[in-house]
Amino acid sequence: MSNKLTKALEFANYRSSLNIQHNNMKARVQTLLSYSTNGGTFIISHELISFVKLLVDREMPDAVLLDVYNNPIQIENLDTFLEELISRYFEATNEYFADYSKLKKSRKVHKLIDIDDD
Amino acid sequence: MTKGFLIFAHNNEEIDYLKLAAVNARLIKQNCSISDVTVVTNHHSYDYTCATMGEEFVTDSFSNIVFVEKDKTFKRSNVRTYKDTSHTAKSLPFYNLDRCDAYDLSPYDETILIDADYLILSDVLNSCWNHDNEFMMNWSYQDIMVERDDPTLRRLHPSGITMYWATVVYFKKCNFSEQFFKTVKHVRDNRQYYQDVYKWPGNLYRNDYSFSVAAHMLGGFQERGIPQLPLPALYKTFDTDDIHSIPCKNEIIFYLEKPKALGDFVLTRWKNLDVHVMNKWAINRISSELMNYIE
Repeated sequence: MSNKLTKALEFANYRSSLNIQHNNMKARVQTLLSYSTNGGTFIISHELISFVKLLVDREMPDAVLLDVYNNPIQIENLDTFLEELISRYFEATNEYFADYSKLKKSRKVHKLIDIDDD
Repeated sequence: MTKGFLIFAHNNEEIDYLKLAAVNARLIKQNCSISDVTVVTNHHSYDYTCATMGEEFVTDSFSNIVFVEKDKTFKRSNVRTYKDTSHTAKSLPFYNLDRCDAYDLSPYDETILIDADYLILSDVLNSCWNHDNEFMMNWSYQDIMVERDDPTLRRLHPSGITMYWATVVYFKKCNFSEQFFKTVKHVRDNRQYYQDVYKWPGNLYRNDYSFSVAAHMLGGFQERGIPQLPLPALYKTFDTDDIHSIPCKNEIIFYLEKPKALGDFVLTRWKNLDVHVMNKWAINRISSELMNYIE
Protein backbone atom coordinates (compact mmCIF):
# COMPACT_ATOMS: atom_id res chain seq x y z
CA MET A 1 0.00 0.00 0.00
CA SER A 2 1.34 3.43 -0.88
CA ASN A 3 2.42 5.78 1.86
CA LYS A 4 -0.24 8.29 0.84
CA LEU A 5 -3.02 5.74 1.10
CA THR A 6 -1.79 4.49 4.47
CA LYS A 7 -1.84 8.05 5.79
CA ALA A 8 -5.32 8.65 4.36
CA LEU A 9 -6.65 5.50 6.06
CA GLU A 10 -4.98 6.48 9.33
CA PHE A 11 -6.61 9.88 9.13
CA ALA A 12 -10.01 8.32 8.37
CA ASN A 13 -9.59 6.16 11.46
CA TYR A 14 -8.66 9.21 13.51
CA ARG A 15 -11.72 11.15 12.30
CA SER A 16 -14.00 8.22 13.09
CA SER A 17 -12.58 7.89 16.61
CA LEU A 18 -12.81 11.65 17.13
CA ASN A 19 -16.45 11.66 16.10
CA ILE A 20 -17.35 8.79 18.43
CA GLN A 21 -15.41 10.29 21.32
CA HIS A 22 -17.15 13.63 20.83
CA ASN A 23 -20.54 11.90 20.79
CA ASN A 24 -19.68 10.12 24.05
CA MET A 25 -19.11 13.52 25.62
CA LYS A 26 -22.41 14.82 24.28
CA ALA A 27 -24.18 11.79 25.77
CA ARG A 28 -22.57 12.48 29.12
CA VAL A 29 -23.48 16.18 29.12
CA GLN A 30 -27.07 15.43 28.07
CA THR A 31 -27.39 13.01 30.96
CA LEU A 32 -25.98 15.51 33.43
CA LEU A 33 -28.44 18.12 32.18
CA SER A 34 -31.39 15.89 33.05
CA TYR A 35 -32.57 16.71 36.57
CA SER A 36 -35.24 14.80 38.47
CA THR A 37 -36.94 16.32 41.50
CA ASN A 38 -40.33 16.18 43.24
CA GLY A 39 -41.40 13.24 41.06
CA GLY A 40 -40.70 15.04 37.78
CA THR A 41 -37.81 15.36 35.36
CA PHE A 42 -36.48 18.56 33.81
CA ILE A 43 -33.96 19.19 31.08
CA ILE A 44 -31.75 22.02 32.24
CA SER A 45 -31.81 24.43 29.32
CA HIS A 46 -31.23 28.16 28.86
CA GLU A 47 -34.99 28.49 28.45
CA LEU A 48 -35.78 26.76 31.76
CA ILE A 49 -33.15 28.75 33.65
CA SER A 50 -34.45 32.04 32.20
CA PHE A 51 -38.07 31.15 32.93
CA VAL A 52 -37.35 30.21 36.53
CA LYS A 53 -35.27 33.39 36.94
CA LEU A 54 -38.26 35.38 35.66
CA LEU A 55 -40.49 33.76 38.29
CA VAL A 56 -37.92 34.49 41.00
CA ASP A 57 -37.67 38.12 39.85
CA ARG A 58 -41.44 38.37 40.14
CA GLU A 59 -41.00 37.23 43.74
CA MET A 60 -43.00 34.04 43.31
CA PRO A 61 -41.98 31.67 46.12
CA ASP A 62 -43.27 28.53 44.41
CA ALA A 63 -44.85 27.45 41.12
CA VAL A 64 -46.16 24.50 39.16
CA LEU A 65 -43.92 23.70 36.19
CA LEU A 66 -44.42 21.22 33.37
CA ASP A 67 -41.67 18.59 33.22
CA VAL A 68 -40.42 16.60 30.21
CA TYR A 69 -43.43 14.27 30.49
CA ASN A 70 -45.75 17.31 30.58
CA ASN A 71 -46.68 16.37 34.14
CA PRO A 72 -47.37 19.32 36.46
CA ILE A 73 -44.72 19.41 39.16
CA GLN A 74 -44.99 21.56 42.25
CA ILE A 75 -41.73 23.38 42.93
CA GLU A 76 -41.83 24.56 46.53
CA ASN A 77 -38.84 26.87 46.63
CA LEU A 78 -38.00 28.53 43.34
CA ASP A 79 -34.83 30.19 44.69
CA THR A 80 -33.33 26.84 45.67
CA PHE A 81 -34.54 25.27 42.41
CA LEU A 82 -32.84 28.00 40.37
CA GLU A 83 -29.61 27.59 42.32
CA GLU A 84 -29.73 23.84 41.65
CA LEU A 85 -30.34 24.36 37.93
CA ILE A 86 -27.43 26.78 37.61
CA SER A 87 -25.11 24.63 39.68
CA ARG A 88 -25.88 21.50 37.65
CA TYR A 89 -25.65 23.40 34.35
CA PHE A 90 -22.13 24.60 35.08
CA GLU A 91 -21.05 21.26 36.53
CA ALA A 92 -22.06 19.66 33.22
CA THR A 93 -20.65 22.30 30.90
CA ASN A 94 -17.37 22.66 32.82
CA GLU A 95 -16.78 18.91 32.62
CA TYR A 96 -17.65 18.99 28.92
CA PHE A 97 -15.30 21.94 28.35
CA ALA A 98 -12.39 20.21 30.10
CA ASP A 99 -12.87 16.99 28.12
CA TYR A 100 -13.50 18.80 24.83
CA SER A 101 -10.40 20.99 25.22
CA LYS A 102 -8.31 17.84 25.64
CA LEU A 103 -9.99 16.22 22.64
CA LYS A 104 -9.34 19.22 20.37
CA LYS A 105 -5.61 19.01 21.00
CA SER A 106 -5.35 15.27 20.34
CA ARG A 107 -4.07 14.48 16.88
CA LYS A 108 -3.56 10.72 17.24
CA VAL A 109 -6.05 7.97 18.07
CA HIS A 110 -4.18 6.86 21.19
CA LYS A 111 -4.24 10.45 22.47
CA LEU A 112 -7.99 10.73 21.84
CA ILE A 113 -8.55 7.62 23.91
CA ASP A 114 -5.77 8.56 26.34
CA ILE A 115 -3.91 5.25 26.25
CA ASP A 116 -0.25 4.36 25.75
CA ASP A 117 0.85 3.92 22.15
CA ASP A 118 2.49 0.49 22.38
CA MET B 1 -41.02 2.92 50.60
CA THR B 2 -38.43 0.22 49.93
CA LYS B 3 -36.39 0.43 46.75
CA GLY B 4 -33.97 -1.90 45.07
CA PHE B 5 -32.61 -3.44 41.92
CA LEU B 6 -33.67 -6.78 40.46
CA ILE B 7 -31.53 -8.88 38.11
CA PHE B 8 -32.33 -12.22 36.45
CA ALA B 9 -29.31 -14.48 35.95
CA HIS B 10 -29.51 -17.98 34.50
CA ASN B 11 -26.23 -19.39 33.24
CA ASN B 12 -25.93 -21.42 30.06
CA GLU B 13 -23.09 -23.69 28.95
CA GLU B 14 -20.76 -20.78 28.16
CA ILE B 15 -22.01 -17.63 29.83
CA ASP B 16 -21.80 -17.09 33.55
CA TYR B 17 -24.70 -14.66 33.91
CA LEU B 18 -24.65 -14.93 37.69
CA LYS B 19 -21.05 -13.71 37.77
CA LEU B 20 -22.02 -10.78 35.52
CA ALA B 21 -24.93 -10.01 37.85
CA ALA B 22 -22.65 -10.18 40.92
CA VAL B 23 -20.14 -7.74 39.40
CA ASN B 24 -23.00 -5.47 38.38
CA ALA B 25 -24.55 -5.62 41.85
CA ARG B 26 -21.25 -4.36 43.24
CA LEU B 27 -21.23 -1.55 40.66
CA ILE B 28 -24.78 -0.63 41.74
CA LYS B 29 -23.73 -0.44 45.38
CA GLN B 30 -20.74 1.71 44.50
CA ASN B 31 -22.40 4.08 42.05
CA CYS B 32 -26.02 4.28 43.15
CA SER B 33 -25.41 3.74 46.87
CA ILE B 34 -28.21 1.15 46.87
CA SER B 35 -27.43 -2.00 48.80
CA ASP B 36 -30.70 -3.78 48.05
CA VAL B 37 -30.03 -5.91 44.99
CA THR B 38 -32.04 -9.08 44.42
CA VAL B 39 -30.96 -11.74 41.96
CA VAL B 40 -33.27 -14.38 40.53
CA THR B 41 -31.36 -17.50 39.60
CA ASN B 42 -31.48 -21.30 39.75
CA HIS B 43 -29.52 -23.83 41.80
CA HIS B 44 -27.33 -25.00 38.90
CA SER B 45 -26.17 -21.46 38.12
CA TYR B 46 -25.61 -20.74 41.81
CA ASP B 47 -23.56 -23.89 42.35
CA TYR B 48 -21.44 -23.25 39.26
CA THR B 49 -20.66 -19.60 40.07
CA CYS B 50 -19.96 -20.44 43.72
CA ALA B 51 -17.56 -23.16 42.59
CA THR B 52 -15.68 -20.83 40.23
CA MET B 53 -15.82 -17.52 42.11
CA GLY B 54 -16.38 -18.63 45.70
CA GLU B 55 -19.64 -18.63 47.63
CA GLU B 56 -18.69 -15.51 49.56
CA PHE B 57 -18.27 -13.55 46.33
CA VAL B 58 -21.83 -14.45 45.29
CA THR B 59 -23.57 -14.03 48.65
CA ASP B 60 -21.79 -10.75 49.44
CA SER B 61 -22.85 -9.27 46.11
CA PHE B 62 -26.58 -9.57 46.70
CA SER B 63 -28.86 -8.68 49.56
CA ASN B 64 -31.36 -11.30 48.46
CA ILE B 65 -31.16 -14.42 46.27
CA VAL B 66 -34.35 -15.92 44.85
CA PHE B 67 -34.18 -19.45 43.46
CA VAL B 68 -36.54 -20.58 40.72
CA GLU B 69 -36.82 -23.78 38.72
CA LYS B 70 -35.95 -23.69 35.02
CA ASP B 71 -38.43 -24.87 32.42
CA LYS B 72 -36.20 -27.37 30.61
CA THR B 73 -38.38 -27.64 27.51
CA PHE B 74 -38.24 -23.89 27.03
CA LYS B 75 -34.49 -23.85 27.67
CA ARG B 76 -33.90 -26.39 24.91
CA SER B 77 -36.19 -24.64 22.44
CA ASN B 78 -35.10 -21.01 22.92
CA VAL B 79 -31.68 -20.96 21.31
CA ARG B 80 -29.99 -17.82 20.00
CA THR B 81 -26.70 -16.92 18.38
CA TYR B 82 -24.26 -15.32 20.78
CA LYS B 83 -21.28 -13.52 19.28
CA ASP B 84 -17.87 -12.82 20.70
CA THR B 85 -17.12 -10.29 17.92
CA SER B 86 -17.82 -11.20 14.30
CA HIS B 87 -15.05 -13.79 14.49
CA THR B 88 -16.87 -16.17 16.86
CA ALA B 89 -20.54 -17.13 16.95
CA LYS B 90 -22.19 -19.86 19.00
CA SER B 91 -25.75 -21.11 19.34
CA LEU B 92 -26.66 -21.36 23.02
CA PRO B 93 -29.84 -21.54 25.12
CA PHE B 94 -31.25 -18.16 26.05
CA TYR B 95 -33.29 -18.53 29.24
CA ASN B 96 -35.48 -15.48 29.69
CA LEU B 97 -38.84 -17.05 30.45
CA ASP B 98 -39.29 -15.75 34.00
CA ARG B 99 -38.59 -12.05 33.57
CA CYS B 100 -42.33 -11.38 33.51
CA ASP B 101 -42.45 -12.71 37.09
CA ALA B 102 -40.48 -9.65 38.20
CA TYR B 103 -43.52 -8.04 39.79
CA ASP B 104 -44.24 -11.07 41.98
CA LEU B 105 -40.58 -11.75 42.81
CA SER B 106 -39.51 -8.21 43.65
CA PRO B 107 -39.50 -7.57 47.41
CA TYR B 108 -39.40 -3.79 46.87
CA ASP B 109 -42.07 -1.08 46.59
CA GLU B 110 -39.99 0.51 43.84
CA THR B 111 -37.90 -1.70 41.58
CA ILE B 112 -35.43 -1.13 38.80
CA LEU B 113 -35.23 -4.32 36.76
CA ILE B 114 -32.02 -4.52 34.72
CA ASP B 115 -30.23 -7.00 32.49
CA ALA B 116 -27.13 -8.57 34.04
CA ASP B 117 -25.07 -7.07 31.21
CA TYR B 118 -26.35 -3.51 31.63
CA LEU B 119 -23.34 -2.14 33.47
CA ILE B 120 -24.07 0.55 36.03
CA LEU B 121 -21.26 3.09 35.74
CA SER B 122 -23.14 6.12 37.10
CA ASP B 123 -25.89 7.12 39.52
CA VAL B 124 -28.24 8.24 36.76
CA LEU B 125 -30.87 5.57 37.54
CA ASN B 126 -31.31 7.10 41.00
CA SER B 127 -33.44 9.74 39.27
CA CYS B 128 -36.18 7.09 38.92
CA TRP B 129 -36.92 6.81 42.64
CA ASN B 130 -40.10 8.55 43.89
CA HIS B 131 -41.00 9.46 40.32
CA ASP B 132 -44.59 10.43 39.47
CA ASN B 133 -44.59 7.82 36.68
CA GLU B 134 -45.37 4.40 38.08
CA PHE B 135 -43.87 2.47 35.20
CA MET B 136 -41.10 3.50 32.82
CA MET B 137 -39.02 1.85 30.13
CA ASN B 138 -37.22 3.07 27.04
CA TRP B 139 -37.85 2.83 23.36
CA SER B 140 -35.02 5.20 22.50
CA TYR B 141 -31.55 3.75 22.43
CA GLN B 142 -28.21 4.97 21.17
CA ASP B 143 -25.45 2.80 19.82
CA ILE B 144 -22.08 4.09 21.01
CA MET B 145 -20.87 3.62 17.44
CA VAL B 146 -23.12 6.40 16.16
CA GLU B 147 -22.75 5.56 12.47
CA ARG B 148 -24.33 2.17 13.10
CA ASP B 149 -28.11 2.24 12.89
CA ASP B 150 -30.22 -0.89 12.82
CA PRO B 151 -33.86 -0.06 11.95
CA THR B 152 -34.96 -3.56 13.06
CA LEU B 153 -34.24 -2.45 16.62
CA ARG B 154 -36.67 0.45 16.39
CA ARG B 155 -39.85 -1.45 15.48
CA LEU B 156 -41.11 -5.01 15.80
CA HIS B 157 -41.85 -4.92 12.08
CA PRO B 158 -41.17 -2.21 9.46
CA SER B 159 -44.85 -1.21 9.60
CA GLY B 160 -45.36 -2.33 13.18
CA ILE B 161 -45.26 -0.89 16.69
CA THR B 162 -42.29 0.77 18.38
CA MET B 163 -39.94 -1.60 20.14
CA TYR B 164 -39.40 -0.98 23.83
CA TRP B 165 -36.24 -2.28 25.53
CA ALA B 166 -36.85 -4.55 28.50
CA THR B 167 -33.18 -3.98 29.41
CA VAL B 168 -34.10 -1.45 32.09
CA VAL B 169 -37.59 -1.21 33.56
CA TYR B 170 -38.68 0.90 36.51
CA PHE B 171 -41.90 -0.01 38.27
CA LYS B 172 -43.74 0.71 41.49
CA LYS B 173 -45.92 -1.89 43.17
CA CYS B 174 -49.29 -0.65 41.93
CA ASN B 175 -52.29 -1.89 39.95
CA PHE B 176 -50.88 -0.70 36.65
CA SER B 177 -47.53 -2.48 37.05
CA GLU B 178 -49.25 -5.67 38.19
CA GLN B 179 -51.52 -5.55 35.14
CA PHE B 180 -48.53 -4.84 32.90
CA PHE B 181 -46.61 -7.92 34.00
CA LYS B 182 -49.77 -10.04 33.76
CA THR B 183 -50.14 -8.85 30.17
CA VAL B 184 -46.50 -9.74 29.42
CA LYS B 185 -47.17 -13.24 30.78
CA HIS B 186 -50.28 -13.48 28.63
CA VAL B 187 -48.28 -12.51 25.52
CA ARG B 188 -45.56 -15.01 26.45
CA ASP B 189 -48.12 -17.79 26.87
CA ASN B 190 -49.82 -16.98 23.56
CA ARG B 191 -46.73 -16.20 21.53
CA GLN B 192 -47.93 -17.59 18.24
CA TYR B 193 -51.10 -15.52 18.23
CA TYR B 194 -49.31 -12.27 19.13
CA GLN B 195 -46.53 -12.93 16.66
CA ASP B 196 -49.20 -13.25 13.94
CA VAL B 197 -50.77 -9.95 15.01
CA TYR B 198 -47.60 -7.92 15.67
CA LYS B 199 -45.40 -9.72 13.12
CA TRP B 200 -42.10 -9.72 14.97
CA PRO B 201 -39.42 -11.72 13.18
CA GLY B 202 -37.88 -15.10 13.97
CA ASN B 203 -38.69 -17.86 16.42
CA LEU B 204 -36.70 -16.63 19.39
CA TYR B 205 -38.70 -15.50 22.43
CA ARG B 206 -37.51 -12.03 23.41
CA ASN B 207 -38.78 -10.01 26.35
CA ASP B 208 -38.31 -6.86 24.29
CA TYR B 209 -41.12 -8.10 22.05
CA SER B 210 -43.54 -9.18 24.77
CA PHE B 211 -42.90 -6.00 26.79
CA SER B 212 -43.44 -3.90 23.62
CA VAL B 213 -46.77 -5.62 22.91
CA ALA B 214 -47.87 -5.13 26.53
CA ALA B 215 -46.79 -1.46 26.33
CA HIS B 216 -48.85 -1.03 23.18
CA MET B 217 -51.93 -2.69 24.69
CA LEU B 218 -51.76 -0.98 28.07
CA GLY B 219 -50.72 2.33 26.54
CA GLY B 220 -54.22 2.44 25.03
CA PHE B 221 -53.09 0.97 21.69
CA GLN B 222 -51.18 4.17 21.04
CA GLU B 223 -47.63 4.60 19.83
CA ARG B 224 -45.17 5.07 22.68
CA GLY B 225 -47.93 5.12 25.28
CA ILE B 226 -45.62 4.21 28.17
CA PRO B 227 -43.26 6.92 29.47
CA GLN B 228 -39.51 6.53 29.08
CA LEU B 229 -36.96 6.48 31.87
CA PRO B 230 -35.63 9.90 32.93
CA LEU B 231 -32.45 9.57 30.89
CA PRO B 232 -31.69 10.70 27.33
CA ALA B 233 -31.25 7.17 25.91
CA LEU B 234 -30.13 3.64 26.65
CA TYR B 235 -26.56 3.35 25.45
CA LYS B 236 -25.46 0.08 23.98
CA THR B 237 -22.70 -1.80 22.23
CA PHE B 238 -23.18 -4.92 20.11
CA ASP B 239 -21.91 -8.43 20.55
CA THR B 240 -19.65 -7.77 17.57
CA ASP B 241 -17.75 -5.26 19.74
CA ASP B 242 -15.15 -6.09 22.35
CA ILE B 243 -13.59 -4.56 25.44
CA HIS B 244 -9.97 -3.41 25.33
CA SER B 245 -9.48 -2.60 29.01
CA ILE B 246 -10.72 -0.91 32.15
CA PRO B 247 -8.40 2.10 32.54
CA CYS B 248 -9.94 3.39 35.78
CA LYS B 249 -13.11 3.50 37.88
CA ASN B 250 -16.32 3.62 35.80
CA GLU B 251 -14.46 3.80 32.50
CA ILE B 252 -14.26 1.21 29.73
CA ILE B 253 -12.24 1.27 26.54
CA PHE B 254 -14.19 -0.49 23.80
CA TYR B 255 -13.28 -1.90 20.45
CA LEU B 256 -16.24 -0.90 18.25
CA GLU B 257 -16.73 -2.75 15.02
CA LYS B 258 -16.81 -0.51 11.96
CA PRO B 259 -20.19 -0.73 10.22
CA LYS B 260 -18.74 -1.16 6.74
CA ALA B 261 -15.67 -3.22 7.63
CA LEU B 262 -16.72 -6.24 9.66
CA GLY B 263 -13.99 -7.52 11.96
CA ASP B 264 -12.23 -4.14 11.90
CA PHE B 265 -12.49 -1.88 14.95
CA VAL B 266 -12.08 1.64 16.26
CA LEU B 267 -11.30 2.39 19.88
CA THR B 268 -13.38 4.54 22.18
CA ARG B 269 -13.29 5.48 25.84
CA TRP B 270 -16.68 5.35 27.59
CA LYS B 271 -16.99 6.91 31.01
CA ASN B 272 -19.46 7.55 33.80
CA LEU B 273 -22.54 6.42 31.89
CA ASP B 274 -24.41 3.13 32.12
CA VAL B 275 -23.99 0.92 29.08
CA HIS B 276 -25.49 -2.29 27.73
CA VAL B 277 -22.62 -4.59 26.75
CA MET B 278 -23.96 -7.33 24.50
CA ASN B 279 -20.71 -9.29 24.23
CA LYS B 280 -21.00 -11.40 27.40
CA TRP B 281 -17.61 -13.06 26.95
CA ALA B 282 -16.02 -9.61 26.84
CA ILE B 283 -17.50 -8.69 30.26
CA ASN B 284 -16.44 -12.01 31.72
CA ARG B 285 -12.90 -11.47 30.41
CA ILE B 286 -12.53 -8.06 32.05
CA SER B 287 -14.63 -8.71 35.16
CA SER B 288 -11.59 -9.13 37.42
CA GLU B 289 -10.15 -5.85 36.02
CA LEU B 290 -13.53 -4.23 36.69
CA MET B 291 -13.50 -5.59 40.24
CA ASN B 292 -10.15 -3.86 40.88
CA TYR B 293 -11.94 -0.53 40.76
CA ILE B 294 -14.85 -1.51 42.98
CA GLU B 295 -14.25 -0.40 46.55
